[in-house]
Amino acid sequence: MESAAVAALQSWTLNGQVIALLVIGAFVYWRGWWRGERDGTRLSAFLSSLLILFLATESPLDAFDSLFLSAHMTQHLLLMMIAPPLLLFSRPMLPMLRGLPRAFVKEGLGPFLSCKQLRQFFGWLTSPVPAWIVFALSTVLWHLPRAYELALSSTAWHGAQHATFFWSGVLFWWPVIQPGLGKPRWPKWVAIPYLLFADILNTLLSVVFVFSGNLLYPSYAAVRASHLTALEDQSLAGLIMWVPGSIVYLVPAFVLVVGLFTTPRMQQASAPRRVHRSRLKSNSLWWKRAPLLRRVAQSAMLLVAVAVVWDGFRGQQVAALNLAGALPWIHWRALSMLALLVVGNLFCLSCPFMLVRDAGRRLFTPKLRWPSVLRNKWLPAGLIVLYLWAYEAFSLWDSPWITAWIISGYFVAALLVDSVFRGASFCKYVCPIGQYHFVVSLVSPREVAVKDKAVCRSCRTYDCIRGNEKARGCELYLFQPKKASNLDCTFCLDCVKACPHDNVGLMAVTPAKTLLSDAYRSGIGRLSKRADMVALALLLVFGAFVNAAGMVDPVMMWEQGWRVGAFVLAGAVALPLAVFWLGGKHARRLAFALVPLGVSMWAAHLAYHALGEVLWLQILLLDAGLLLTLYTAWRMSQGALLKVFAPWASVACLLFSTGVWIFFQPMQMRGMMP
Amino acid sequence: MRLISLLVLGTLAFADGGKVQFQRKAGAFNITLFSTPTPVRSGRADFSVMVQKNGTETPVLDADVRLHLIKREANSIAEVSARARHEQASNKLLYAAQVDLNATGKWRVEISVQNATESALVTGEVEVLPAEPPLLAHWPYFAVLPVLAILFAVNQVLKRRRAKGAAARR
Repeated sequence: MESAAVAALQSWTLNGQVIALLVIGAFVYWRGWWRGERDGTRLSAFLSSLLILFLATESPLDAFDSLFLSAHMTQHLLLMMIAPPLLLFSRPMLPMLRGLPRAFVKEGLGPFLSCKQLRQFFGWLTSPVPAWIVFALSTVLWHLPRAYELALSSTAWHGAQHATFFWSGVLFWWPVIQPGLGKPRWPKWVAIPYLLFADILNTLLSVVFVFSGNLLYPSYAAVRASHLTALEDQSLAGLIMWVPGSIVYLVPAFVLVVGLFTTPRMQQASAPRRVHRSRLKSNSLWWKRAPLLRRVAQSAMLLVAVAVVWDGFRGQQVAALNLAGALPWIHWRALSMLALLVVGNLFCLSCPFMLVRDAGRRLFTPKLRWPSVLRNKWLPAGLIVLYLWAYEAFSLWDSPWITAWIISGYFVAALLVDSVFRGASFCKYVCPIGQYHFVVSLVSPREVAVKDKAVCRSCRTYDCIRGNEKARGCELYLFQPKKASNLDCTFCLDCVKACPHDNVGLMAVTPAKTLLSDAYRSGIGRLSKRADMVALALLLVFGAFVNAAGMVDPVMMWEQGWRVGAFVLAGAVALPLAVFWLGGKHARRLAFALVPLGVSMWAAHLAYHALGEVLWLQILLLDAGLLLTLYTAWRMSQGALLKVFAPWASVACLLFSTGVWIFFQPMQMRGMMP
Repeated sequence: MRLISLLVLGTLAFADGGKVQFQRKAGAFNITLFSTPTPVRSGRADFSVMVQKNGTETPVLDADVRLHLIKREANSIAEVSARARHEQASNKLLYAAQVDLNATGKWRVEISVQNATESALVTGEVEVLPAEPPLLAHWPYFAVLPVLAILFAVNQVLKRRRAKGAAARR
């Protein structure tokens, strides 16, 4: 093959956002399909439709659409005439609704889906006449020279053109395929004139392209990239629109005509509906093996930690070239955040300090209880303030040697505490990293929880907290039936192994929903009664902004000497205290509403270090955090919009604006190679 | 890591042709310069170069293509140089490079093309406008907030209406 042809075939656009959307769409459909009637033909149609969309927008067709009208026309043909009918043939509504989280479908989409006016409007829009008119207008208007040239000169308008083509295509094919639930709304013969009129319009447009003799879109004359002239390319585009386009309209019309003159066969008795509800059972085996996996993960992390410490002490003292530089401060922090947002507290599950703690307890058999005065979160909160200050004051990310000392100190502290004191005292009352993970995991989509509460009500052995010969009970005093949220849960999965009824697992939950309740929580009590918990949450929220602000030029230039301490104390301690004080009696509840925004700021900041400046991602993360915070505050305020909701919403908006300001500033990529 | 970069950063190769800035014939080559975004603004910009053989218009794929951008002012000169490569382009017939333009106004662009047998140098001008304010440049990501807030408000109205209807039926 000629080298130019090879180069052309290698010209894939590969836009990550489009690919991510297609993958998410495929996953949601597959999930719903798996939960319902598993019709392979429908699944194939859906996946084929996504594949066509991928080819239309990411293949060489896209790379060459600004050079050849014929490539652009083929792209449009796929978007309007191939992908939409395949999508509708897969009957996507039910699988997509089944595939989405139930709470979102019920609370979020439910009111729209059951709204009479919206249903009437949608019913009208998908009826033959309006659908045909919208499709025809979209086809004709976008092919007018001024509109087409606008799309060629602007990425945004080009995207709008493609979106219009695809969605008007979906609308057009709706009355033909009738993918809605229940009986068809129109007799099949209606689709025959409908398709024929569409073909007439398509033919008229094609004739203009083929025979006009004038170049309709001058942009294509700017570059002659093949032996074809721009006018010949235009004629070829017209032919593509004419012949394959007509086939797409005429073949279904022909099939419908044949169908009208054929005696319908007796419908086969429909196969019994197979709804697969074996989710809990299929999980069991995995859970049984989870503690073993945990040990493997912990051992791997321990080896990594030892290597990091070794390199930190003995290696080259350049952060970007030392394992104790980029690995803990950039990659580990970003990966543990990703795990928190996608699954849950996987860091604590694979914590390298756990093996050292366990070894200490085997050697020394701890007998003492952790001092009652320290049975709260004040000590770790103080350690977090210390960390935020030290991070700025000693440029921790830039010093492999100090990093190695911190990790070694962590091992010693874990060993000492758990060799002397019973339970998981280090995890619950000391470890600042653990507290950070506990708070962030309040917005995780998974939680270690009971599968069926009725099973727990009949349980008399309480192995999940007391333990048995198979596993120890929860060392953090979390009694599963009364446990709510991931707070204080290290994902150790001891309760999973100990439960004789196989009734505890890693269950899906709505992120941040647990914040709405102030009920008693096992091992924690009521959140509103825990000033230390409120302080910890506020510290981590405001600390996220302080930590990120420390890497932008205006703050770095100001932050010298004593000002480092003043900045951290003002931002992470004084400011939350002021907010708490001004929040009055509602502060103990609504302070937790800020957690999603704080988490989003941590995530956006860590994403910056891991991936570089991806402003759209950082803004979207902050958007998600703000929306979840506003929703949580709104639910917590219980209708007191002005008195309770408005002040907290203002704080959230101020924090959001601060976050946006931070990301718009010139930033230092700390600890990375320039 | 490549996959994560692909998903997050959008595209592996950034330049995608874009607007034709100028086309010049020099020696054995016909050279076209494309740019994105349209219009070119100060900050990061993608420049793509198409090199074709004069007469046959066959794309030349084995050339060494270099861009040199100069902006002269009364008492200062801003210069940027970059090598354009196929790897940076979505369309592999083009040579692309990303450059940071830190000044507005007319920039002179020099494109040098050399392959085993021929070489050529063409020049042209590109107008660079001031950068958009960041809020304006990222407006769709901020627009998500009011759009979702409105949808949420409608959701609540519909829910209340439904609850009222259900109560009336009882």
